[in-house]
Amino acid sequence: MDAIERMVSRVLGAGIAIAVVFMLAGVVLGIASGEALPDHVVAFGSLASGLSELDPAAYLSLGLLVLVATPFVRVTGSIAAFALERERRYVLLTAVVLVVMCAGVLLGKA
Amino acid sequence: MAVIIGIVLVAFVAGVFGSMLGVGGGIIMVPVLSLAFGVPIKTAIATSIVCVIATSSMAQSSFAARGMTNMRLGMFLEVATTVGALAGGITAVLVDGRVLQVCFAVLLFYVAWQMSRRRGDVVPAEGPVMPSVYYDPAGGREVRYGVHALGLGFVLSLAAGNVSGLLGVGGGAFKVPIMNLLMGVPLKATIATSNLMIGVTAATSAAIFYGRGYVDPQWAVPAALGILAGARLGPRLAIRLSARVLVVVFEVVLGVFGVLMLLRALGVGV
Repeated sequence: MDAIERMVSRVLGAGIAIAVVFMLAGVVLGIASGEALPDHVVAFGSLASGLSELDPAAYLSLGLLVLVATPFVRVTGSIAAFALERERRYVLLTAVVLVVMCAGVLLGKA
Repeated sequence: MAVIIGIVLVAFVAGVFGSMLGVGGGIIMVPVLSLAFGVPIKTAIATSIVCVIATSSMAQSSFAARGMTNMRLGMFLEVATTVGALAGGITAVLVDGRVLQVCFAVLLFYVAWQMSRRRGDVVPAEGPVMPSVYYDPAGGREVRYGVHALGLGFVLSLAAGNVSGLLGVGGGAFKVPIMNLLMGVPLKATIATSNLMIGVTAATSAAIFYGRGYVDPQWAVPAALGILAGARLGPRLAIRLSARVLVVVFEVVLGVFGVLMLLRALGVGV
């Protein structure tokens, strides 16, 4: 468990670093353009085009999205950790948590 | 620009205390954003939820590396918390919000009093349930413990998840005393595990808020950056400080939460 937990903690650290890089890039681009920071996020579908156009809002949005995704990665990593340890009960329990998280997101959309 | 720097600083402080104690810090960010910076309440809540995730993930990268997070306990109680939160709507119909706020505040003061009465951490007792071990640098020794009173902890987590969803308070302020006082989990493992749970609970709402456009980068980004910096420092303090000092800080923070909650019940706009 310990080795895998350490790996999960490294993945989390990397995710946060990526989020920070995108957010800082967005702030720098925003300051360079001389306008205030954007007051809305970019929809998921238009992220790619926004990024290629160096739109500050797209960089800030992607940074926030990566940050929001980290707990999902955290829980998924733990399912893998329990599976490798052959702790079936906890694989199931953690999978329930992940399903509830995802169901919440889907229900919230509706 | 001054506004951005102000938010970064406030978020930094919230990040330090939130991650050090496993309570998130959302309850501080919401009133500061809405009262001091005039942020609309929904945007303030969305920002604070992003902050809770930032606190949780950043703190986890420190605590998990130390083996302090009890993943089994965290996932077990997370089921209770989420189910409780889903049932929040039922409670909202049955009980008046103000009554709930006053009860919540009284409970916070009671918990703070209970913790101060004991003056320190639980004596870790080994057991067969979810056993765990971590090295405590402050005590210079390994701490071994098992989890106790699993059923009671589960039921109370249901209740905590239920009310915390209603009041917009991340349940951390109750998860910590439930695990520590009732389930016999040493304080540092409690704080690490609570930090894990608040992020998991917040992630779903954050994704929903993002989809609905309530996450506003001009507030959320400076707040997240400040929180991340603070939550890098907080766990280091928690790991090094003695449990006795952490208990005192926790009591003070619970007291502040209680006062904020009473003010809210009395209709002062926080």
